[in-house]
Amino acid sequence: MTNGAGTVAAQRAEPRQEAPGKRRPSERARAERRLGWLLCAPAVLIMAAVTAYPILNAVVLSLQRADLRFPGNNEFVGLRNYGDVLSSNLWWQDLANTAIIMVASVAIELVIGMLLAIVMQRAIFGRGPIRAVILIPYGIITVVAALAWKYAWAADTGFVPSLLNLSSDPLTSHDSAMLVIILTEVWKTTPFMALLLLAGLALVPDELHEAARVDGASTWQRFWRITIPMMMPAILVALLFRALDAFRVFDSVFILTRGANETESVSILGYNQLITRLNLGIGSAVSVLIFICVALIAVVFLKGFGRTMRQRQV
Amino acid sequence: MLAGVAAGVFIVLAGCGGGGGAKGPATLNWYVFKDKSGSFDYAAKQCSKQSGGKYTIKIQLLPADADGQREQLVRRLAAKDSSIDLIGMDVIWTAEFAEAKWIKPWSGADRARVEQGTLAKPLQTASYKGTLWGAPLNSNAQVLYYRKDLVPNPPKTWAEMLAQGQKLGAKGKIEVQAAQYEGLTVWFNSLLGSAGGQILASPEKAALGPPAVAALDVMKKLAISPAADPSMSNAKEDQANIAFEGGKAAFQVNYPAFYSTIKKEAPKVFAVTGIAPWPSVTPGQPSHTTIGGINLGVGAFTKHPTEAFAAAQCLRNRPNQKYAQVNGSFAPSIADLFQDPDVKKAQPFSLLLKVALEQASLRPVTPAYTDISLAVQKTLSPPSGIDPPSTAKDLKSKIDKALKSGGLL
Amino acid sequence: MRRNVRQVGFWSAANLAVFAFALIPVLWIISLSLKGPKDFSDRKFLPANPSLDNYDGIFKDSQFTHALLNSIGISLIATLIAVVLGSMAAYALARLQFGGKTLILSSALAIAMFPPIAIIGPIFNIWRNVGLYDTWPGLIIPYMTFTLPLAIYTLSAFFREIPWELEQAAQVDGATPFQAFRKVIVPLAAPGVFTTAILVFIFAWNDFLFAISLTSTDKSRTVPAALAFFTGDTQFSQPVGSIAAAAVVVTIPVIIMVLIFQRRIVAGLTAGAVKG
Repeated sequence: MTNGAGTVAAQRAEPRQEAPGKRRPSERARAERRLGWLLCAPAVLIMAAVTAYPILNAVVLSLQRADLRFPGNNEFVGLRNYGDVLSSNLWWQDLANTAIIMVASVAIELVIGMLLAIVMQRAIFGRGPIRAVILIPYGIITVVAALAWKYAWAADTGFVPSLLNLSSDPLTSHDSAMLVIILTEVWKTTPFMALLLLAGLALVPDELHEAARVDGASTWQRFWRITIPMMMPAILVALLFRALDAFRVFDSVFILTRGANETESVSILGYNQLITRLNLGIGSAVSVLIFICVALIAVVFLKGFGRTMRQRQV
Repeated sequence: MLAGVAAGVFIVLAGCGGGGGAKGPATLNWYVFKDKSGSFDYAAKQCSKQSGGKYTIKIQLLPADADGQREQLVRRLAAKDSSIDLIGMDVIWTAEFAEAKWIKPWSGADRARVEQGTLAKPLQTASYKGTLWGAPLNSNAQVLYYRKDLVPNPPKTWAEMLAQGQKLGAKGKIEVQAAQYEGLTVWFNSLLGSAGGQILASPEKAALGPPAVAALDVMKKLAISPAADPSMSNAKEDQANIAFEGGKAAFQVNYPAFYSTIKKEAPKVFAVTGIAPWPSVTPGQPSHTTIGGINLGVGAFTKHPTEAFAAAQCLRNRPNQKYAQVNGSFAPSIADLFQDPDVKKAQPFSLLLKVALEQASLRPVTPAYTDISLAVQKTLSPPSGIDPPSTAKDLKSKIDKALKSGGLL
Repeated sequence: MRRNVRQVGFWSAANLAVFAFALIPVLWIISLSLKGPKDFSDRKFLPANPSLDNYDGIFKDSQFTHALLNSIGISLIATLIAVVLGSMAAYALARLQFGGKTLILSSALAIAMFPPIAIIGPIFNIWRNVGLYDTWPGLIIPYMTFTLPLAIYTLSAFFREIPWELEQAAQVDGATPFQAFRKVIVPLAAPGVFTTAILVFIFAWNDFLFAISLTSTDKSRTVPAALAFFTGDTQFSQPVGSIAAAAVVVTIPVIIMVLIFQRRIVAGLTAGAVKG
């Protein structure tokens, strides 16, 4: 079935290069190109304006002593702010916290999400209500979810500490507070993960399972040898989205502990420097470093993703 | 076309909220925390009435803790908010707000009227680089609460108090505020001042030195002694007082406001509570406890400066300050109120408080104060982890960096 | 598939587990909102004396009502702009042939993955000098960093599914281009646009970091920011009851919306990600 628009390749996180049109640009093609750019222009311009300009501004600010409490003293200080940040224990500690939250929550979400996806696909009854109820954590405001978890675990208002016979307030010690933060994140975003995995599950043809079952493979074997490999692209996409998202964690940490007891994430660190200390120089250095970390994660993922995809293309 | 619709929506929205100038009394927004004894509300009502129709003072509530108040204020001041007319400024904000040009200086006749009859130290907290930036509304300094039945003679130094506390055993706990917040900085600053030192040598350099080691030594000794309250590193003013009221402690360093609280909430303990000066560090030398309190500042972008200056002077006048002191919370900034008979009846220790205020030490006067306090809080918490010589060095380097807007906190 | 007892039992347990996972925190916050001021510290799951006092209180509190108004207005406008501009771009991306398409799509994706903290500082600085601090446009403009990419991405995935040749067929049958567009394309595109609007709205409604950094008063503070800074009468403890009631009030409509449109939302969420 021909399509006048021309099909665009499947949308994966890895952009595939289209062969630039080597045909002679006809009048119609030129008009189409103009129209295309015209329609995209407003959106593209706005996106560029609200991201490119502030990012450049942040880089410029990060090279200065820019403190709103000393408005007359702005001066160029080169990489001093970066030096201060990178040589400070606090940065590395917060980076570690953020990494722990990211890895732990994504790992747990992957497992629970997979279970949820399987339930959603294979339940013999109640599939509709299940899918509906699963979306509730997705639709709730993160701040609300964090408040619910905070009040549930706090020693003075919560029902969990007495349920689990805990002696101290879980939110006042580092390890238990990190656990609550991770659980909150997991609860909030597992539905999204589950839905992405569900879409991937749908791609696994049933005939393969039938054939394997006839051959005597157990459910476990079928899961690991057929389902997972065929779902790999979906799993990797889901992991990439969630990893990048988890690195930016802010709302849950802010509400649950405000970063106390050394549970700060890098975003909280940035917020403290920028909005509480009004130190735009150091804060911008932190922001740029966070940006670089996110870019690094994406690049690492995409490279690994690309390699996996190439390996599968027999 | 659609862009035009969007632009139109923006214009309408941007136009919303712009009120015209109102005739009649100017509304002055006074940003301050909620005073439980109601003295702020009282003063605001009185002054609105007495202004003769020139202005009405409307209190806009800020959070209870100083950090929370500052958080709400500074970003709005940085955004040149013109609705902030009067600010109940904590004494530690003077330099920051002045340098950033967020408040108006007091000069001429207004300044002279404020300075007359006011204690010297509160005036110092409101001054920066020779200019007066706020009108002292009230003042504050900690005292020592002790159990007269357990300790017939109150201790004169921290070492003495520690020894007495240890001897008393389970009932001899010493309550301090050592949670990771401004109160910890206050405690450190008081000890440091009492040891003869200060945090800053100049606006660009930290001092600290041997007095700091002595101060940190006191903190460490208390933190690891049996006389320390186990939840010391989570304790703020309220928690310390609750422990003292519960009979678990023989000593408490805290603000005078809790005198009436103890009277109301724990009359049995109140009957045996005595008040003494804050213990000193060096035997034979008086202590120099940290001065606190509120100064009234006029927002730099206010639309009613004349009315604001007039209102501030009314809010801090003698009758209003007397009301505040008699009804509970604060020490006045006007010198002769300490001898007023009504005041002495409500606060029998008022003269002791006046001496404490006259000898008080200030927290560092620098726009970077928040950073310095953060550095102190993070380095000294929990106090049991202090190693006096190395902690002092660590603190010095952090403060030096913070003064140049450097360092991550 | 024969439904034997074991299977029914297994799947019932599984379904129950899913329901519990999703609903326990929600039920908890509803229960909190029904607790009176004396019951907060009783640390039980269910309220001892349920009452609607908290709800009464928050609707009288201008902190909350203004925040609600701000949230609704700002999220709606941001959604409107994102969907309109996104539709235009998605139409071009799905339908027309021109160079740079993948560049636009991948840039949109990259921008969506941006850490917002990276631009908070400069935007705060610019806004305070330009007078956009604590205003509706002051939030709506930064919201474009995540609403636009999401809209473009989701809409282009939907639009790619539309059989565009139907439009040409209609024109062959004698309709004008505009009629063909209106009668054939619009009904086909409408569900996708509607779903995208829902997803974008939820995203905007949810924002916290921009809201607490770029607002400070009733003028433009949105609900998530207001919830975090709710000041109550009591000096030292947070007004847990009011916060819980406010949280429920902003959550119930979203839950209802999510339940009604769940099929669309699921379709929208999976549309962009995995398309073979």
